[in-house]
Amino acid sequence: MPYRLVLSPRLAVPRWLTAATLIGGIVFGLFCCAIFLIAFGVPASDLGNEFVLYVFGNSAGLDQTLTRAISLTLVSMSVALCLRIRFWNIGVEGQLWMGALAATAVSIYQIGPWFLRMPLMIVAAMVGGALWCGLAAVAKVRLRADEVITTLLLNYVAYLLAQDLLYGHWRNQADQFPTTPIFPKFEQLPNFGGWHLHYGVFIALVVVVFCWWLCRYSRFGLLSKAVAENRTASRALGIPVARITLTTACLAGAVSGLAGFSIISGEEHKLTQFVGNDFIFPSIAIAYLGRANPIGVLIAALAVAGLYTAGDSLKAFYQLPDTVVVTMEAFLLMTVAAFDVFVRYRISILRQRPKAPVAVPVEGQKA
Amino acid sequence: MNGFLGDWIGAIPVFAAPYLLATTGLIINERAGVMNLGAEGIMSMGAVAAVIAMLSGLGLPAAILLGCVAAVGMTLLFALLAVVLRLEQVLSGLVIFAFGVGLSGVIGDSFANQPIKALGPVFPSAFAGMPRWLAHLLDQDPLTYFAFILPFIVWWVMERTELGLRLRSVGENAPAADAAGVNVMAMRIGAVLVGGIVLGLAGAHLSLVGSQVWVTGMVSGRGWIAVALVTFSRWNTLRAIGAAVLFGAVQAVIPLLLSSGLHVPIYLIQMMPYLATIAVLAASGMGRLRASAQPEDLARPFLREERR
Repeated sequence: MPYRLVLSPRLAVPRWLTAATLIGGIVFGLFCCAIFLIAFGVPASDLGNEFVLYVFGNSAGLDQTLTRAISLTLVSMSVALCLRIRFWNIGVEGQLWMGALAATAVSIYQIGPWFLRMPLMIVAAMVGGALWCGLAAVAKVRLRADEVITTLLLNYVAYLLAQDLLYGHWRNQADQFPTTPIFPKFEQLPNFGGWHLHYGVFIALVVVVFCWWLCRYSRFGLLSKAVAENRTASRALGIPVARITLTTACLAGAVSGLAGFSIISGEEHKLTQFVGNDFIFPSIAIAYLGRANPIGVLIAALAVAGLYTAGDSLKAFYQLPDTVVVTMEAFLLMTVAAFDVFVRYRISILRQRPKAPVAVPVEGQKA
Repeated sequence: MNGFLGDWIGAIPVFAAPYLLATTGLIINERAGVMNLGAEGIMSMGAVAAVIAMLSGLGLPAAILLGCVAAVGMTLLFALLAVVLRLEQVLSGLVIFAFGVGLSGVIGDSFANQPIKALGPVFPSAFAGMPRWLAHLLDQDPLTYFAFILPFIVWWVMERTELGLRLRSVGENAPAADAAGVNVMAMRIGAVLVGGIVLGLAGAHLSLVGSQVWVTGMVSGRGWIAVALVTFSRWNTLRAIGAAVLFGAVQAVIPLLLSSGLHVPIYLIQMMPYLATIAVLAASGMGRLRASAQPEDLARPFLREERR
């Protein structure tokens, strides 16, 4: 091969380059999505309508986008927190389910007086999620079980547990549908007058601000930065690596659990089968697109929530299946991550000269 | 041996084969130092492509071939991200996981829930004289037979040929292999592609033999379980046979329990394979055995220009 592709690592990365590759990746990703949608029968002229006008332009679309953004922000914050110490949390769906189940248990067994019910549900949801993520973290720290696989498989376990309860003890006896009875008013997060959007917005904003403070100004944030950079060196410096891993995982699980609470108390007003649907990959995509930065996550969550609103209208008008949105997210994450290669490496193509033949003296032969 | 136990034993190979194929494919990847977490998505594409081929009137061989081709397509994308562009391998795998599951759902939407003709046994009458459970155990379709032969072939190539030595050297110490004149990138891409073909076969087995229908999301975590089985079998394809049979047995008992008429909690029973995987993963992480068996350069991108 006469040409060789050489990647040389960059030591200093100019800011404009980081921004340019991010924008380039997003634009190229959207372009891939557009080609993909056109290939599956969506007319090219309608794409602009679907993506811009419907998502942000009218109040119904905006309402749906913002409501969806609440749970997406929370679960993605959970992944981002873990990503900051290089712990892959692929189990937000399971943690969300456990949070929802714990909060529902508080409601069904009527724990506490009515005015304390909602705070208790919130605490229960956080504990439920934290336990589920903490389990995987303990397995990683104590038993060296890879957290990518354990957190992912715990999704299935939590989902099946929820199914068991919904078809068993918690089933609504009145109509036999696999849902719990509707929560009383004092267990529901209030809506903004006439909108679906509910006070869960404040939960999401508080979490974002807390995480921003935690990552930027707290001692814990500084130590976890060290853990992310080099686990061995951190251990040698006396940083409690295992404790930081466990704390971060429990915190992240609690945030996912809050997402479960926000969905059952603010959107569904009861536990249904569709509480923890399709959160695994979006949360990873958002956390990565937001560069695991709390403010970045908030922005990316809003954008991806818009993608879901667009996806819903695509489903309705062009009979495309549910998985079309995940496919588009995969396109976006793939191109943004691939474009990152320009940030990390200087790419050059070297031309290799054909090697000059070397004269090898043979023994016994006169030159 | 005919009642419950006989039915159980006879059903194990069909449930074990996809695990065995997928684990073998992933071992080929990981011995070359590439961790492919996209297995679930690649298997989904293999499964859906095989069903689409069957429903379009192509024959069974074409269905298997198309399953492999679809899987290789996904694998090429993974190789581009993880090996050529040196993205973090966990992230590349997750992208391929989502892409495969999503795309298979989109292209399989109009083919979903339509039963297909199953891949039948190779020797329908050869085991007539045997007890029923033994005949049931031995009488399998070609893909299942192949699943149980392949680990031996892969083991022999890995341990007894120069190709295998080169592949393992790339996985153990890529810079040293590079210095010794092994083309690291070519080796890794080759291993990923061959592994992808085998993952495609695993997906095709799921839809052509197992369910005989395409349902969106039907791989349901088997790709992830296979990733864990690689660790459990300590990167050895012969041990993978035992691991796959164990998990095949766990999976095979579920439909039997459900149809037995006993009053069992359906959803709790279905948790078994997932809980068993976590247990096995925790158990195999404890000993020193794992540390010695895991390829040293697993999930570490190699770039000659980068200081290690």
